[in-house]
Parts: sequence; structure tokens; C-alpha cells
Amino acid sequence: MASPAKPTDPNNNSDRLRSVARYSGIGVQMAATIGLSTWAGYWLDKHYQTKTPWFTLGLMLLGLFAALYNVIRAVSKGE
Amino acid sequence: MKRLLFALFCLLSLTARASEPVATTADATESENFNPGEMILHHIGDSHEWHWFSTDNDHYTTYLPIIAFRPGQGVAVFSSRHLAEGEVHEGLKLEHEHLVSTDGAKVYDFSITKNVATLMIASALLLVVFMTVARGYAKRGTAAPRGVQSFFEPIIVFIRDEVAKKSIGPKYERYLPYLLTVFFFIWFSNLLGLLPGSSNLTGNISVTMTLAVITLLITLFSSNKNYWAHIFATPGVPKLLLPIMIPVELIGIVVKPFSLMVRLFANITAGHIVTLSFISLIFIFRNVGVAPVSLAFGLFINMLELLVAILQAYIFTLLTAMYIGGAVEDHHDADYQMGGGDGATPAQVH
Repeated sequence: MASPAKPTDPNNNSDRLRSVARYSGIGVQMAATIGLSTWAGYWLDKHYQTKTPWFTLGLMLLGLFAALYNVIRAVSKGE
Repeated sequence: MKRLLFALFCLLSLTARASEPVATTADATESENFNPGEMILHHIGDSHEWHWFSTDNDHYTTYLPIIAFRPGQGVAVFSSRHLAEGEVHEGLKLEHEHLVSTDGAKVYDFSITKNVATLMIASALLLVVFMTVARGYAKRGTAAPRGVQSFFEPIIVFIRDEVAKKSIGPKYERYLPYLLTVFFFIWFSNLLGLLPGSSNLTGNISVTMTLAVITLLITLFSSNKNYWAHIFATPGVPKLLLPIMIPVELIGIVVKPFSLMVRLFANITAGHIVTLSFISLIFIFRNVGVAPVSLAFGLFINMLELLVAILQAYIFTLLTAMYIGGAVEDHHDADYQMGGGDGATPAQVH
């Protein structure tokens, strides 16, 4: 990207820290995606008094898909 | 520099060692059957008064101002002393730290609670420290920094070079004030939260939500057309899939700040709960023999929290910078999800 500087020794540590933060961020984001969409589905089911929890099911699956898609896109380089 | 850090470390560890048990002893003796859950929730929650500690027959509490607005009745301002022990004052009372009107009317609570007071203290501290630092630069210019300035210069430079420049790219400069503010604010608040008797500011979800919303707004307002093109017409995705992809991308916009909010809140709250739980063990077992073990573990977690304090501030700042970087980037081929896919990163994946 915009940083042409190649990693030298003092930079290495901060790059490692950066990766740790970055990938832990992806993990939390994955959990948050699934959690948030499931919660939204649950709320919608409650609000519309549905007999079968279609909203919960649908949004949970969508959240699962979104989480996986985002993880794959975040870890694969856009070469 | 190293000596200064060491002194700071000693100072912080001393207060942690000295006072955590003191506060809890008081809580335990207050009622005969000690309820650790209640005590811990009371400690990590917000309150309308600042309770320092209690002895057998006395409470040491600072009463904070209550500011309540009720539509049609105007604003009521008085000390929370009048509401202590469930008393009613001006038609208001506290129910589990929740300000309610006795006649059932809607109450908007603008009180200076413990967390609000801590927020003000943290802001004042930031202002004092960084005005001193700024004065140092105004006076000495590019000459060697001195005093407080020399402590903060490496950190500021780190945020600028390692966080802002690498994640945002050439346009990093206009976002630097926010990134530095958010970093130091979170760090200072985390450390303030570790002080005995202080409140759990960054472990309050409203505070972290406000920070996350500001990040979201900055990302949205600085986004360019590439960012939106990626969301509404993701390159390389067939047209038929777009109805699925657009919601997925929109979820992504909301989830990023949401995960920022939850991460900071959960980390800080969890640290406080674990420390307090270890201390509570003494009073659960009612045994002196447990004390050394639980104190050692409590102290260890407290030390760990010192690290977590700066780590969480760093992570919040870095991810904010990456989200902004994703929004302002010009290249089409770059990684938009987490921002800054700098060339060095793949080598770091072990």
C-alpha cells in the first residue's frame, strides 16, 4: 500500500503488534456480525409475533455468511 | 526514560496493592452475608454518588449533583445527598441507580454521575498534560524534548508513523488529531479506572459507544466514491449476487464500530470483574489462608490490566485508522475490508 518502507528490525515488533491487533480485530468482528444479525432477527420475530422464527433463521444465516465472507476478504490479499 | 517508566509502574502497582482489598473489606463488613455478585456489579456500574469506602459505622461518600429534566416541570438541580438511602426529593428518587419520578413522569437524567465526573477528570488531565507538551514544542521547537514532553513524544511519533501513516496512507495528517485524542483518552481513562476508588469509565458501554459512533461518522464522512462503489457494486461479483452482497456490505459498515464498542467495553469490564472476584474469594471462604493466594492473583491481573490499558487503546486507534484508511483509499485493487494491507503483513502471519 502506501508504505514503501520495508520492514527493518525496529519495525518488526510493531508490525507484529499490528498483525495481532488486526487479526484479533477480524475475530471480534466475525463474532459481532453473527451476534448482531441474530439479535436483529430475534427482535424482529418478537416484534412481528411470527409463529416460526424465520427472521432469526434468515438473519442468522445471512450474518454467518457475511462474517465468513468478510473474514475471507480481510485475510486474502487483493492482488 | 526507562527509569521514568519503571517509577510509573511502581507507583501504579503500589496503589493497586494498597487499596483494592480495603474497599472490598468495607463492602464485606457492611452486610453479614457477603454477596460477591452484587458487590462486583456495584463496583463496575455507574452511580449518582462517589462512594470511596466505608468503615464499620461510617460511609465516606462524595455527593455529586443531580440534574434532571422533566417535560413541563423544567430542570431540577440538587445534590444527590437528598436522594441517599432511597429518599424522595423534588418528586424524584433513585431506584437501583435509576432516576425516576414518583408521579411516573418521564425523567431525562443529565446528572454528573461518577462516570461523567471521571470523564471530566480524564479530559482535564488530557488538557493539562498535552498543553504542557504543546508548550514544550512552542518553546523549544525541534530541540531535544524535556520532562513530560520527552515521555509523550515517542508515543505520539509511534501513533503517527506506525498507526496513522501505515493505515491511512498519504492523507493521514487530517485524521491524526482524532487518532491521538482517542488513543490518549482511552489509555488515560483505562488507567484512571484502575486507580482505587475511581470509576470504570471505559467499561461503560455508553462511553465506548460514543467513541465508536464518532469513528463511524468520521469514516462515513471521509469516504470517497471507491468506498461506496465497493459496497453497492462490488467488483468481480456477478449482478445476480448483488441483492445478497449489498446487505452483507452494509452489515459490515455497522459491525466494524460495533465490534470496537464491544471489544473495549468487554475487555475493561472483564478485567475489573476478574480482579474483584479474586479479592472476593477471601470473603467467600472467610479464611485468612486464602488471602495470600487471591491477593497474588488479584495483583497479577491488576498488572495485566496495566498492559491491557495501553493495548486496548492501541487496538482501538489502529482499527479506527484502518477503517478510515479503507474509506479514503484510492486504489481499486486494495483491501477494503480492514484497510491497510501493507506489503509487510503477510510475512507476519505465522
